[in-house]
Order: sequence, then structure tokens, then C-alpha cells
Amino acid sequence: MASISREFSYEDTAYHLPVSYALTGIAVHDRSTASEVFTKTGSNPLVAAECLLAEATAAEGKEPAPYTGFISDTVIRKLGYSLVDGSILGLALLVGTPKSAESAAAICRELQEKYMLTFLSGGVIPSLSSAGVKLGLDYRLIPLGSKPLHSVHFVDIVARVAMMFGGVSPGDTHRLLTYAAERAKAIVIVFPGLSDEEIAFVDGMRVLGFPILSLGEYEGGDWTPATPSDVVRTGMDIKGIRVTVTAIPIPMACSPAFEGKSIRKEEMQVEFGGGRSPAFELLRMRNPGEIEDGKVTVIGPEIGTMKEGAAYPLGIVIEVSGKTMKKDYEPVLERRIHNFINYGEGSWHVAQRDLIWVRISKEAFSKGVKVEHLGKLLASKFRMDFPQLLDAVAVTLITDQDKVLAGKKEAEKIYEERDARIKGMRDNDVDTYYSCTLCQTFAPNHVCVITPERPALCGAISWLDGKIAYEISPSGANQPVEKGALVNAQNGEFEGVNRFVKKASHGEIERCSLYSVMEFPMTCCGCFEAIALMLPEVNGIMVVNREYKGMTPSGMTFSTLAGTIGGGAQTPGFAGISKNYILSERFLQGEGGIERLVWMPAQLKEELKPRLVPLLAAKGHPDLFEKIADENTAATIEDLTAFLARVGHPALAMKPLM
Amino acid sequence: MALKALDIYKLLPKKNCKECGDPTCLTFAMKLAAGKADIELCPYLDETAKSVLGATTRPPIKQVKLGVGERSFAVGEEFVLYRHDKTFYHPPGIMFRVLDTENEEEIMAITARVRDETLTRVGADLKFNGTAIVNTSDTVEAYAKAVAAVEKTAGLPEILVSDNPAALAAALVLCGSYHPVICAATPENYKQMCALAKQHGCRLVVRAPSLEALAQLTKDCVAEGVTNLLIDPAPQTLGDFITRSTTIRQLAITRAVPDLGYPVYLDATAFDDEDAAIALGIVKYASVIVTSPLSPASAKAALTLRQNIYTDPQKPIQMNPGLYRVGTPGKDAPVLMTVNFSLTYFTLQGYLESSRVPCFMLIVDTEGLSVLTAVAAGKLNETLVRDAIKKFGVESEVTHRKLIIPGYSAPLSGRIEEATGWKVLVGPRDAAEIGDYLHEEWKS
Amino acid sequence: MIPDLNFGWTSTVGEVVLGATRAEGGTRSRSYRIGGGSTLPFMEKSTSSPSPLIAFEICDDPKSWSPIVNEFCGDLVHDPGAWAKAAETTYGADLVRLCLTSTRQRDFSDIVSLGKTVETVLASTSLPLIVEGSNEPKIDSEVFLKCGETGQGERLLLGTAEAGRYRSISAAALAYNHAIIAQSPIDINLAKQLNILLSEIGVQKDHIVIDPYTGALGYGFEYSYSAMERIRFSALKGDADLAMPMICAPSDSLTIKEVREADADVRNAIAVEWEFATSLAAAVAGAEIVCVRHPDTVKRLKAAFTGLKTRSGA
Repeated sequence: MASISREFSYEDTAYHLPVSYALTGIAVHDRSTASEVFTKTGSNPLVAAECLLAEATAAEGKEPAPYTGFISDTVIRKLGYSLVDGSILGLALLVGTPKSAESAAAICRELQEKYMLTFLSGGVIPSLSSAGVKLGLDYRLIPLGSKPLHSVHFVDIVARVAMMFGGVSPGDTHRLLTYAAERAKAIVIVFPGLSDEEIAFVDGMRVLGFPILSLGEYEGGDWTPATPSDVVRTGMDIKGIRVTVTAIPIPMACSPAFEGKSIRKEEMQVEFGGGRSPAFELLRMRNPGEIEDGKVTVIGPEIGTMKEGAAYPLGIVIEVSGKTMKKDYEPVLERRIHNFINYGEGSWHVAQRDLIWVRISKEAFSKGVKVEHLGKLLASKFRMDFPQLLDAVAVTLITDQDKVLAGKKEAEKIYEERDARIKGMRDNDVDTYYSCTLCQTFAPNHVCVITPERPALCGAISWLDGKIAYEISPSGANQPVEKGALVNAQNGEFEGVNRFVKKASHGEIERCSLYSVMEFPMTCCGCFEAIALMLPEVNGIMVVNREYKGMTPSGMTFSTLAGTIGGGAQTPGFAGISKNYILSERFLQGEGGIERLVWMPAQLKEELKPRLVPLLAAKGHPDLFEKIADENTAATIEDLTAFLARVGHPALAMKPLM
Repeated sequence: MALKALDIYKLLPKKNCKECGDPTCLTFAMKLAAGKADIELCPYLDETAKSVLGATTRPPIKQVKLGVGERSFAVGEEFVLYRHDKTFYHPPGIMFRVLDTENEEEIMAITARVRDETLTRVGADLKFNGTAIVNTSDTVEAYAKAVAAVEKTAGLPEILVSDNPAALAAALVLCGSYHPVICAATPENYKQMCALAKQHGCRLVVRAPSLEALAQLTKDCVAEGVTNLLIDPAPQTLGDFITRSTTIRQLAITRAVPDLGYPVYLDATAFDDEDAAIALGIVKYASVIVTSPLSPASAKAALTLRQNIYTDPQKPIQMNPGLYRVGTPGKDAPVLMTVNFSLTYFTLQGYLESSRVPCFMLIVDTEGLSVLTAVAAGKLNETLVRDAIKKFGVESEVTHRKLIIPGYSAPLSGRIEEATGWKVLVGPRDAAEIGDYLHEEWKS
Repeated sequence: MIPDLNFGWTSTVGEVVLGATRAEGGTRSRSYRIGGGSTLPFMEKSTSSPSPLIAFEICDDPKSWSPIVNEFCGDLVHDPGAWAKAAETTYGADLVRLCLTSTRQRDFSDIVSLGKTVETVLASTSLPLIVEGSNEPKIDSEVFLKCGETGQGERLLLGTAEAGRYRSISAAALAYNHAIIAQSPIDINLAKQLNILLSEIGVQKDHIVIDPYTGALGYGFEYSYSAMERIRFSALKGDADLAMPMICAPSDSLTIKEVREADADVRNAIAVEWEFATSLAAAVAGAEIVCVRHPDTVKRLKAAFTGLKTRSGA
């Protein structure tokens, strides 16, 4: 700093010397301020470079074209705009002197194709010009200056974007560094030819979280070595810059409009599975770096060798990776294979797991659609629909009989593991439940609290669904609910749940018992599958489902009850539930257990019978099923009273309900 | 705070005697909790229980019936400040004002408008509800004549607006048996007005310049034996009305001031911009709105706003399922299927009309659910479509067999084809694009 | 005896500043601070808070504009500058909303003309400006860049961000310090989600105006009315992600059947009545900006809002 002798400033900026200004809040224009910031930032090489370059520019003037030197705020504003709106995915700095002009040109081409904005400094600029590469803002290749030191403009651009767009106040070092590390999508590629001083200077950019990829023989240090063919990909991967997929490169139209279209026997070219041949589908998670994004492999014969109208084996194996991808999400993503294949105009898919049935139409075949294209469709759609979650998707389609059979065996093991995991999940195993507000349009104060043993009252969403939905869309309809301290174990009342419900209902509901019908039951919207309600006369609880249109012993039909308890109300004695909840351990726990159940419509009884009878037996009530009345055995409360006494229903002897 | 069904049940006899008309005490308790039953119906409750339960279960805003016969209507029986919390139950009556200084023809013409004028929207016939006859002349004879003229023309609910008891008495001779509304009792004259009201079983508007005075006044009138009251908070500005009416509604539904639990009366003619007062009254709890005979534009807007605000948010308005025509479709016109949710129907119809392509709309019965909801709930399915095609004779209206279905019902396309034998074309998801779609894609 | 109303509010609606005067770095004759409500609309203890603002809508290509308005306004509809001036001096509006309907043309690409139009309008009227941008997602990036840049310093309100389409408009807001309209399809949860997405991209809460989408009277208006009441309620009960002022912009009001097919002698009256009833009801539900297209609606609404803020005591 001692060498600085004059005053200096850049004209077209409100940010003085942006890097120094952002780091310290000090406007640097002369030696004393330069010394001040240099000291304040612990002799930071970037700050030093910035001050020295500013002074040099003031003394000698800007370098001639094509070099841009310091770029004005107006242009930076436009640049920042493109970063925010997504027309530019990120920034790259190329510094040094490449050994081969052609490979440098190839790197630039790749950056352009991937919507990166590239800044250049040093020998790479004349090198590219000699290879005939056009430079300038229009080409997204910006030549900052003839020396590596001019790279400091790259840093002052990032600093200005942080201050203009990132809410970073000048002097808020911490915020600036966080912004640079987490939000700024910037990578640095270093060619050979840097002096030690220049190396130290470039290395100073690491503090900003910019990955530094080295194409030269720089030893020691934390730079990532790379080759010209993988340097761009590696850099973008490290920084998490992903190119969004927009097109599906197959000879077949693909749209949700085709989802319901079926392919009849006469229309199909080939089919797979459906009981006619072995088939399965499986989605697995892999570690980042283990798979190549977009890779599609067909193992076995292609459609060209298949006989028209015949059935062939098929294994669909999707491998995905992503920084936030979890094993739990595998089944959720796997379910999408069905939708995606159906979006194809000439492809059709039914069922799931090892029961799938897939067809490709004659029309699609005549247009050139192959088995491989199904893979491309799947790879593209998974990336398009889960841009944040998945970084890479690779698809393998197996049509070789032996390999399909082997793969199917492995898949079946995995399906079993998954089922066991979900079955075994208990409320006590987790600290977080999930809420759902999807039906709040009709019931402003209603919120479902979903636990592993208590699915949403609409029957459509399980605890796992809620968890995954939250992780994929953190601002969506499913939010985490911290359980908090236990208030009442039998009723399933928790402090955290109470707090959550109170907030979500704007203070209307203060307490919520997850397992009780009588005390502080959960609120209901209107889309519950069934209603559990008290019948005080017989000291029991009855259940009626939506499909049952007749009268119940309560004196009310489902529809009357639904009208009164819905709309976000908490009605002690009444709870809206899903049908599957009846089979849960927690059903009626607050009231003493399933022994309270006295009446259910006959059709619902039949529907639940295969699972309910063994469940009751396991609980020590092998004959309880017959003691639960229905509209045939007891239509009115009087009939029910008599019936229950006759069969000796346990509810009659239990603690009074109220 | 309103009592919950369970708490009410605990206070009931629990005999299931059915004498209240409900099969079980539980049912009765639920109705009471919703303010939909009268505690008096239970013969086995003692007076204390009745008064405790009554106070907390009767509707916080008293139900008042206006008029008799076919055109009578009820107001009040409201429970919420925001329609989205449940619904607003009884739309306000809009009453055209006639002055006794107008000549007989004019009075009869205005009354005839109320009697006959109908705006049909989304399958409902919307009408005005009655007349307010004002004693502008302050004489007895003119007033009696005016009332007679109204009576001659129609049997509609009436409001008698006069501070002259003699004029009111004369009018009541003519129409008392129809239990009109008398407007208005004030802290100064209420005893006289109550006597008149009692004599003929009239409803009574009470007016006072402050909410305190109003609460006292209703109390006093009830003590005089008149319980069918309407409150006029005497607003001089729109600001007065919104603050007073909102306060009344909130204090009534929280049962903080039960004496304010009565329907609100608004004289929109007292404001410079009558339409503003009408719109404000409709959204902010007025139960009776007096207006001058409205221009066609004002009338349409008022009736439509009233219909919109007083629609039950939880019950979508439905069209009758059927085959509807847009323009004059011929045998090769497109057939577009969609749900019977009124909003869907009218939105699509509007776009079809602007597209100028004559076509058929096949409206199927999804019980008012929108396309997305009906598909998700399974209510819109291939069986429904197949049966609708048969029931409405679609196959005899067109020679082709192509059905256009809404974009969001695409998952059903194959199954509909199988069930009906028709070819299914999947249309756009957004109705706004239907015009372009038909021009580009439709060929019979 | 009459207790004070206690709704249990715990928070207020956030504020947004629109327009910038010379002192504030722009060229408007006034700027507005909207929002800040601490209870239900028009129920504040003090009547000093501002009335809802009335925005008069103009466009740069009247081809798809209401024929009723085109006829009523005459030649003005072909001259956005003059039309904007009329909105200020003749119709009495508080804001001008410039709808760039020319972008609706197929393959529209004349971005430069948009910049010129915005410039012209800014020069012709001194009212704060709402600029309703592109109709076509493909040109969003350029359109919002141009509008944002041209209006730099004026604190425009840019329209309209939606869940799947908010990056470019947010970029313009961030780059050039404008506020944006965030629209959701009559669903309070989607409105909240969009506001969260906007926060994540860097748009400050005090730069967001919520548009819950307003269906025309008779065509779903009640859904919008209730959505507004619910948003207001949530804001007052402490939900910071919904505590923004709202805008009512019923673009279909004049194209619905009742208005479109009205007889010539009642056409203008019914157009005004329709807009008037919708805007008044929306204001009562919480809208801080109401948009209208028929000139005669403006003064009526102004008078009505004044009436709503006037009280006679007691």
C-alpha cells in the first residue's frame, strides 16, 4: 500500500472499490484509506490487488479494447438481473495462459452451452482470439484484462451483486462471505503460467467459497485438479450449478394430456409384464458421483428384434443421486414412473413394482420409438420434475430374460424391506409429526396432524408422504410439527402439537389429543373418509363412512354429521378419520381401546374384515368382530342397546365415556 | 362462547323420548350447538336449564320473518363475522321505497316492479323483496291511500315508515294482518310504537344514535312485549354504517351484548351514493336494505353481489346436468364435456361464445365439484360420462363420435373411450385456451 | 355497557412504498405508503390512515381492450401518454396502471417500443405507475428488464409474479428497486407459498403486494372476497408471510356477458356499476389498491372511500 501515491476512483459505480467497500464499509480512494482496509482485512491479497489496480488504472488509464477493465454498475445490474431470473446460471473466471488454444475454446463453448457467464483474464484472452473465438458481453465471454491481476474485477462484480441483490450491507463481512459461498454461483478455472504472487492472489478467492479448478501443474494447496474435458462439469457439480432440463429428446410427444390414453391389444407393437412376461420397476438412490446424469442403457434385445404383438421381459431400473436425496424418498419417486411413461403418446403403463404392464404402440414404433427412448423419457422427466432434489438420473432397461429374473428377485427383497420399515414405524419412534393444510380452502382453521400411526383423515397422506413432501417443498402444504413434551400419553396430547394447532387455528383451538374422540379431538375439514362418534347410551363409539347413505343409531346420517362437525370445528365426542386409522393401534386409545367399537356399516365391516379380525385376535379379542353391530343387526339406539347386552359387548362394562 | 354438543348433551334428560322431534338426545344436542333447534322443544327440562341453555344455543342474531305467504322471507339467524367461517344464511331483503306524495300510478308501477322483476343468474331467480312506504306527506289520508295502492298491486312484505302514530294506525287497518314492519321506534316514542306493533303482530325497527341507546331500546321493547325487532344504527355516513354494523355483529355473535342480537336495517336512500350504501350493506351484515327503485344497471349489480356474498362457501352452486347449446350447433358441431360446477360452466360458456364456434356442452353431475376435485375424488368417471351421453341423447344430436374433455381429466381419457365407444380428445387445462384449441384442432 | 371490540389482533399489515418524488430520487409528484392497517378495513380508531388507492388502467394496444371503454375514451386509447395524463387530470385516479397488451401479439419482439411507451407514460403523468408486463413467458426476461430499467428510480409496481413465473419480475424488482404484484389463484396457502418463494429469491416483504386474483362480480367474486378477508385476518393475527397490502384487479369485469351484451343505452352505466360494486366490496375486504378501466368509476369510488372514512361520532 505504501506504493500508492495518488487518489483514484472508478467513475461509473456507487460502490467505490467494491471488494473493500463490501468487506469493510470503507470507501477507498487514496493511500490512507487503502492502508486502512488492508490492515482491517488482515492484509487480504484481494483487497491489496483491488487498491493497486485502481491506482494503476487512474495513473495509466484503462487498457484498450477488447479488455473491459472495471465494468460499470449499469451493466452489473443487468448481469445480476440475468442471474436472478435464471437466464444465466452462474459465473466462471478463466485465468492464466492455456497450453492449447483449441482446448480453451472448447471449454468456453461448453460454458456458453451451459448458460454460464465467463470472465477472462491473462493469456487466455489472446489465446482465444487466436483460435477465432469471439469475445464480448454478447458472447458471454468477457475479457477483463491482460494480466491475472485483472481477475480482481471478477471479485468486485460478485461483491457488487451481493450488495445490489443479496441484501448485503457494506461492511457486513460475514454476510458477504455467506452470500458468496452459498448464493453466488461462481467457479474459477486456472490455466498454467501464474507467478507465485498471482497464485497467492487467486488462492485468496477460496475464502469466498469459489471452487478453484486447476488445469496447470500447481502443487500443494487446495485447488481441484481437472482436465479440459471435465473441468466445467466438475466445477459446476462442486458448486451445485445445475442445468435445467427442458426438452425430451425422443421421437414421441410427451404431455399430461396423454395420461389416460390406453393402448389396446390391436394397437400395440410390444408389451412387457402384465402377467404375460416377467417385469419389474425399481428406483434406487446412489451416492453423488456414482452415476452419469442422463445415461440410458439397454441390456438385452431392442424393440427392432421383438416380434409384433408379443410380450417380452422388462426391468426398469432408475438410479438417482442428489445432495438432499434420501433413501426414504425412493418409493415416492418410484411411483412417478407410472405417470411419466403414461405421458408418452405411444407408451402405456399400469400398476407398480413387480406387477407392471407396459406397452409401446405400433404408431410410436413406426415413428422410431425404441425401448431406449422410454429410458430417455424417464431420465428427463425425473430431472424436470425434481430440479432441486435430483442432480443426476440414470436409467437401465433390461430386456434380457435371465437378467430380468435376477433383477426382479433383488427388487422383491427391497420392496419387502420398505414395507417392513413403514409397518414398523411407531409414533414413539419419531419426534416430528407433519401437518397438512391442503384442504384449508374449505376449512380455514383446520389442520391435520399426521403421525406414523395416524394418517390424514382424508386417507391420502401418510406420515412418510408428509415428511417427504416437506423436504421436497419446504414451503408447501406439509410442515413439521415438533411433538414437544408429553401432556397425556393415553390421549396422545403433546405440548408441541398443542402449540402448533393453536397457531395454525389462529388461537381458536388450544389443545389437540391425537388418540381421543371425547377430549379435544382433532378438528375436521370435510374430506374425512369416516366419522367416529360417541354413543353415550351404550358407552361406546360407532363409526360411519362416507359411502353409507343410511341412518345410524345416533339418529343422524353421515351427511348430517359431516355438516355439523366439519368446517374446522373441534367437536368433543366426534372425530373425522381415515378408514385405515380404524386398523391402527392408536384408534380409540384415549377411550380405552378398540373394545369401545360398537357399530359400523356392514359394507365397511366387510371391507375391513380381513385385516380387522386378525388384529382383534392379536389383541385378545378373537370374537369381538361379531359383537360389533351394523345396520342389519341394530338399526336404532334401542336395538343397539339390546344387541350389545345380548352379545355381552365389552364396552358396556368399561369406564363411563362421560 | 357457544356450548359444544357434548356439554349440551350432558344437561339434557338423555331419555331419547323423541318428543322434540329428533330420534336421540344426541341429535338434539348437536342441533342446539349449531343454533338450529329451539330449546323449548324439550318437555323434560326445568326452567333454569332452559334459560341457561337457551341463552347459549339460540341464534345470536334473532330470526325475524317479514311478510306472509309466498313472498315472505326470514332474516337474522346469523353466526359469523366472516362468511368463510361458515356462511351467511339469510340474504338481505331489498325493499323499494315509495313516497305517499307520489301519485297512485307511480306507486303501483314501483310495486309491480318488485312483484314481477326477476334476474335469472346461474339457475336462480333473483328478485327484490318488498316495499317501504314512506309517510312523506305526514298526513293520514295520503298515507292510507299510498298503502292501499301498494296493497292493490301485490301481496309483498311491507315496511311502514312514519313517526305519525295516527298515520300508522290508519295504514295498519289496511295491512295489519300481514304483519308489516313499522319503522321506527326511538327512545322517545317506543311505548307508542310497541303498542301499535303488539296490536297487529308487527315487526319493529328500533333506531337510536348510539349502540348503548340501541341496546337499552331493544331491552325496553322486549319488556313491552315486542320481540321481532330490527336495529337501525342511524348511520349518517358510510363510515358510521361499517363501524356500527360490524360492532353489532361482533358483539352479538360473541354473546357479549345479547341485546344487540337483532338483524340490521339500512336505509340506503339517505346516502349520496345509494349504490355504495347498498353494496356496503350487502357485505356488512344489513338484513333489510331500503332503496329507491333501482336503475337496470344498479339493480343487476346489487342482485348479483347479494347472490355472490350469500352463497354458502361450502356448497358450490350447481347447474342442472344436461346437454347445453352454444349458438346453433349442427350435426357436426363439437361436443365438450365438463362438470356441473356453475363457475366452470359459465366460464367455459363465456369463452365458447367468444370463440364463435357453435357447439354442445355436455354437463355431467359431479355434485358441483370442479374438474380437478371431481377427478381426484373419483366423482368424474367414465360411467358418469357414459350414462350422461345416453341420458341426454347426445348420439342423436351429432353424427360424429368425438368427445372433448377438460385437460385436467386427461387420466380418464382411455377409460372414457372404452366405456362410451367415442373417441376422446383432451382439451386444454385452461378454459381461456378453448377458442384457440377449437380453431386449431377441431375437425369433425 | 358496550365493551370495546377485541379481535385479538397481534400484528399489523406491512407497508409498501409506491412512487418516488424528486426528493426520493424519482420524478413523481407524490409517493404513497400503503398498508399498515391494524384492524379490519375502515375500522381503525383514527380515520387518518389513507384511503384505498384507485388505479386507472390503460394499455398500449387497445385491440383486446373493452369496446365500451374504447368508445368512451375515444382517440386517447391510441395514445398511452395522453391517456395516462387524462387519468390523472380528468378522471382523478391515484395511480396509472399501464398494461402492455402489445406483448400479447404472436411472436412479439419489439422490446424497445415497450421501453419507449413506459418512458412516454412516465413523462406524461406525474402519478406513481403500475406496469403490467409481458403476457408471454418466453419474453419475460427481456420485457421486465426493459420495464425495470426504464423505470429505475421511480419505485414502480411491476405486475405480475405467479408461482411458476416469478424470476424475471423479481430480478427487475431487485435490480431496479421496484415493488411487485404476487398473484395466486384464490388460495391463501398458495399466496403464502409464493411470498416465501419470493423471499427466498431476495425480494423483501415490503416490496410485495398480494393479488389473490379477483374474479368478476357474478363469476366467482365471492371466492376472491373471502380470500382477501382471510389474508387480512392472517396478517393481523401475526402471519408475516401474508402481512402485505392487497390489490384488486378484476380484468374480466367488462368482458362478462352482462356487461358485454348490455344495450347501448345502459352499457356505460352497467360497466361502471360492475366495477364500482366489485371495487367497493374488495376495499371493504382489505384491498389497498383497486383497478378500474371505465373513467366514470374513479370519482364515484373516491367519494365512496371518503364516505367510508367519515364518521359522525358516537
